[in-house]
Amino acid sequence: MLVFDHVSKRYPNGYDALSDVSLSVDAGEFVFLTGPSGAGKSTLLKLINGVERSSQGQVHIAGQNITRLPARKIPTLRQSIGVVFQNHQLLFDRRVYDNVALPLLIAGMKPTDIGRRVRAALSKVGLTGREDDWPETLSGGEQQRVGIARAVVHRPPILLADEPTGNLDPDLSREIMSLFLQFSQLGVTVLIATHDLELVEAMPARRVQLQDGRMIAR
Amino acid sequence: MNESASGSGAHIRQINRADRLKAWSRHHRQLFRSTLITLLNQPGALLITWLVIGIALSLPILLSLALREISEADTRQVIQPAMSVYLSVPSESETAQALLQSLRASSAVGEVRLITEQAALMEFSSLAGFGDVLNAFSENPLPGIIEVVPNERDGAGIKLLAQQIAGQDGVDQVSFDAAWLERLSAILGILERVLYALGVLFSGAVIFTIGNTLRLTIENQRAEIEITKLFGGSDSFVQRPFIYRGFWLGFGGALLAFLIIQASLMYLSGPVERLAQSYRSNFALEALDFGESIGLFALGALLGILGSWVSVWRYLKQIQPK
Ligand SMILES: Nc1ncnc2c1ncn2[C@@H]1O[C@H](COP(=O)(O)OP(=O)(O)OP(=O)(O)O)[C@@H](O)[C@H]1O
Ligand SMILES: [Mg+2]
Repeated sequence: MLVFDHVSKRYPNGYDALSDVSLSVDAGEFVFLTGPSGAGKSTLLKLINGVERSSQGQVHIAGQNITRLPARKIPTLRQSIGVVFQNHQLLFDRRVYDNVALPLLIAGMKPTDIGRRVRAALSKVGLTGREDDWPETLSGGEQQRVGIARAVVHRPPILLADEPTGNLDPDLSREIMSLFLQFSQLGVTVLIATHDLELVEAMPARRVQLQDGRMIAR
Repeated sequence: MNESASGSGAHIRQINRADRLKAWSRHHRQLFRSTLITLLNQPGALLITWLVIGIALSLPILLSLALREISEADTRQVIQPAMSVYLSVPSESETAQALLQSLRASSAVGEVRLITEQAALMEFSSLAGFGDVLNAFSENPLPGIIEVVPNERDGAGIKLLAQQIAGQDGVDQVSFDAAWLERLSAILGILERVLYALGVLFSGAVIFTIGNTLRLTIENQRAEIEITKLFGGSDSFVQRPFIYRGFWLGFGGALLAFLIIQASLMYLSGPVERLAQSYRSNFALEALDFGESIGLFALGALLGILGSWVSVWRYLKQIQPK
């Protein structure tokens, strides 16, 4: 499903965020991406959804080489990827419903179908009946879960999460992780970058470890 | 909607063409309403933008309406009084009657009106103060006059006609203000150019105003645009709401321009009619007719869409998720 073939990423300022990373992830696999701050976890995720491009090596997604994908084809790629990114929070001038509905609007779904899907996604993350709330009236953990509902509402084959449990207490973190695990059991390929080693140890999942842009365990 | 089933989701989603077209047109229909509603949620800001656009559109249009009325053929008499043909013979004489006949028959001549000596006297003495002057004469000193409205439009042709009439029997002299007429048509020519320039400048101002307003909106929606792109919104998907906003700004501006124009015409109509009557003319500033109103709205909408296109496209392309 995901193949990194000797991938390096050098940022325009000359910094090597990833060096010679090779990695293969099967469909429906659940993978933790760990490593100290600055190791290159976020960079690796960004290479998957075309936010950044590799400087060397090839990235394949679902058999398609996206390394030199033309800009006009990036949107289609992204529509098949759900993301929970640290720095991409909710839109606070939109209700929960509209936040979650965004990927479906982009996909051009009918309004009636959108309503059904949004409610289903919200119930999955334990926020049934909260669709008319404003994000700022929700707790940090609830906001995080809205973000997760938004990432899975269009049932993407790939789910990327960057520090999805950053703001959560241990109980809620475990809950969210088991949610991600459920998605992978449904066939979704899940990649999670996290610092939370305690949680990673407790989960029966593959672990890819990065340090200074190099892979030290796969 | 053709989704890849999650279980076997080993390929990037493909949506067929018909579904894509349906989704596309649904998005357009939905944006047509929602962008207007969003704009109306900030009525103060919207009204100011509409007003600026409305004024910018109405000024050149009002000027062009005035110019059109002035230069239009049937109102030319306002500034082109008929030629006055002064008779050297009594107006009842055969010579005068023959002249009248031939003028009426001439294709170069539109209207012909005989003012007899008596009529001229009456008109003249009705003007304050002149009655006494005329009483000093024992008999009517005024000649008969034939007023001639030429069909000819341009100054040189009218001059030629005047010379030709002046050479006929029974004519003392022909008077009309040729120099003034030529000067006027030159001025009209200049005004027309000034008007074109103004039209271009003000259209540019409208495009600029709309583009600038939309840029500010984009700046406020940066986060939303980034997230939309992160979830696979294409550049044109992201741009579409701004095209519709531009449309509404331009269209609403044109609506205001329409109101400004009609109100100005009403305000001006009294004085203009009085002026026209003093020239015995039916000159009147006419309101925009149906077709012209539609044209105005289309112009506004077009400038709005154009303003959105030129200013937003490259700007939106630059906004990328990080
Ligand atoms: N746009 C950029 N330009 C230059 N350098 C960058 C850029 N983005 C990231 N880097 C650098 O690349 C390295 C890896 O960054 P990255 O965000 O991938 O780390 P990370 O493993 O996600 O760290 P954290 O756990 O703190 O989120 C860092 O040293 C960072 O400074
Ligand atoms: Mg990171």
